Amino acid sequence: MNDLIVELEGVSKRFAAHVAVTGLSLKVPRGVVYGLLGPNGAGKTTSIRMMMNITMPDEGSVRLFGDDRGGRHHSARIGYLPEERGLYPKMRVLDALVFLAEAKGVERAVARRKALEWLERLGLEQWQKNRVNELSKGMQQKVQFASTVLHEPELLILDEPFAGLDPINQEVLKETVVSQARAGHTVIFSTHQMEVAEKICDAVCIIAQGEKVLDGRLGDVKQQHGGTHVAVAYEDSAQGGAGMRIAAPFVTAADDSGVFAELTLRDGTDPQQLLEALVRGGVRLRRFERIEPSLHRIFLDRAGAAARADRREDVTHA
Amino acid sequence: MRKVWAVVRREFLERVRNKWFVIATVLGPVFVIAITVLPSLFLMGGSQRRDIVVLNAGAGGLAQRVEAQLARTGAYSVTVVDVPEERQVVVADSLTRHVQGNILSGYLILTAASLEAGAAEYRGRNVASIRDMATLESAVRQGIVAERLTRHGVDPAVVREAQARIDVRKLRISKRGATGESGEASFMVGYFVGLLLYMIILLYGINVMRSVIEEKQSRIIEVLVSSLKPFQLMLGKVIGVAGVGLFQFTIWGLSGFALVRYRSQILTLFKVPADAVNAVKLPSISAELLIAIVVYFLLGYMLYSALFAVVGAIVNSDSEAQQAQQPVMMLLVFSLIISFSAFADASGPLATTASMVPFSSPIVMPVRVATSDVPVQDLLLSMGILAASAIMIVWVSARIYRIGILMYGKRPNLKELARWARQS
Repeated sequence: MNDLIVELEGVSKRFAAHVAVTGLSLKVPRGVVYGLLGPNGAGKTTSIRMMMNITMPDEGSVRLFGDDRGGRHHSARIGYLPEERGLYPKMRVLDALVFLAEAKGVERAVARRKALEWLERLGLEQWQKNRVNELSKGMQQKVQFASTVLHEPELLILDEPFAGLDPINQEVLKETVVSQARAGHTVIFSTHQMEVAEKICDAVCIIAQGEKVLDGRLGDVKQQHGGTHVAVAYEDSAQGGAGMRIAAPFVTAADDSGVFAELTLRDGTDPQQLLEALVRGGVRLRRFERIEPSLHRIFLDRAGAAARADRREDVTHA
Repeated sequence: MRKVWAVVRREFLERVRNKWFVIATVLGPVFVIAITVLPSLFLMGGSQRRDIVVLNAGAGGLAQRVEAQLARTGAYSVTVVDVPEERQVVVADSLTRHVQGNILSGYLILTAASLEAGAAEYRGRNVASIRDMATLESAVRQGIVAERLTRHGVDPAVVREAQARIDVRKLRISKRGATGESGEASFMVGYFVGLLLYMIILLYGINVMRSVIEEKQSRIIEVLVSSLKPFQLMLGKVIGVAGVGLFQFTIWGLSGFALVRYRSQILTLFKVPADAVNAVKLPSISAELLIAIVVYFLLGYMLYSALFAVVGAIVNSDSEAQQAQQPVMMLLVFSLIISFSAFADASGPLATTASMVPFSSPIVMPVRVATSDVPVQDLLLSMGILAASAIMIVWVSARIYRIGILMYGKRPNLKELARWARQS
């Protein structure tokens, strides 16, 4: 199937002080939920801005819907949610939604009808005449989603969509993404939260320091990564400490979270041997399971130590 | 084009619906009239009668003549105090204290030398009132002339006749013949036109800047430039705000027209007698002047709003903009100041040059049109230069704007701005 919605080929972008993206190539087929993953400063936002025609690549080509006229040309088919979100604070909610749709090239009457539909769906219909800055932050976020999807775009491009959302809006957004995907639309989103990506994405591209580390369908990525991986849950953190000491000789890498750990076993090691050692050592376990490697593990293994410093930043600030 | 239209509509409606638009539309003319008319009223101002003393230190009959002249004006109530010359200083000191104590407005010293040397001295609290001082001076001058003539044996009746009031009417001649418009009226119209253009270009230019800053600050700019080209956005903004300006003009124009047309009916409501109404001569505003105002507003606004859009694009906040807008403001202020020279000499080298230079012509040329006859070819040349420069500046500005709106943090210097303008 050669129905590529987004195609980047050898794209590079330099800024005065640093190189943001180097030789990035990726392909996003129709109907796929695509995760652009990487730590902060990896070049995710720059890549997305180049897809959207906001910044121009220094080298390489960007093709959307099979042509290179850029995101602006297709704005009526794209729903774009930038990392830095914002609405006109003094505009009325309904007017703001209609204007943003019109700016994308949607006809005024259509924009108005759909805006009203979305306000109703999000439970904001009684706020339509209020000014945006009279709404709570959570409500403003909902209005922002509505402005991103109300023109029923075939392609959603979301830059760090989950950052800064309260738990309720995280759910709203997740549902939106899932329903868009089920409707056959394509969704591209960037995040540094591997756990989120793992649950939502069909395919991923991991970038670090402006370069692609790996990409592909989620299943393929995990299979190709290889190795034997085990998830261990301990009764408490004291047991965890004891367990990790016993496990050390058997593993090459450990993602130790205290009472839970994801272990990569030494080549040729049978997980059964590790389990026996732990039981013999008197460590109380709640879980011991052979697993596929998590994206987080893969990311750590592939992107290396440079990325390690960033990996604890995935705390949502609600 | 539909996208540009959406921006135009937003900029227009958001402004016109705003309560500030209503306030500015109502208060704008009041404010302009206030700063055009009030200063002259205050300066010319028929303040209350001044109590003054004429200190006659050996000036003889001159003191009585001056007293009579001053009394006739009705602006002064005069007391003559005769003192021997040697006591003049002592009396003057005590009068000074009276002035300080607010009992007297001032005192006029006439001495024996006044008549020969033609010199007198007035000491008073307020010597800045143009009209009062002019009255005083003319009274002293006339008193001295009359006294000198009388002393040389001229018949007092002849002296009176020679001093009868002389009135020189000053009327402007335009291509269509004498206008019946006085010099003062043509000065007022010119002053009004210059100030009006200065204010509206500044006001709407700053509006464009604010709008750019708002989009940048609220971070909505990124969604916007993913939907439309920065140039489309800037164009829509400039047109939308210009629409607000023209709309406001129309309101002012129509209500002004209605006021003039129905002034007798309106003033009669306020119990002003009809004779008094008809006695007021209104300065004529020609169609030529109106067209010049509108054309120069549009072109001048286009040029300046593009500059203000750049200022908005390169700053991060309103407070930063205060500083960054200074160079653009200076251009406007200088233009206004130069336009004053058009009153003194509308065809002089400064006024004619400034009416060709694109940054000052939007203000200076309409003032020249208001106060003199400007050759049509000059007018067309000036408009042509302004239009060409406005287009060029809009183009350059759009290139800087496009990059500036996505930049946050340190404000770029001129070198960086030049690089942005060149960047593809």
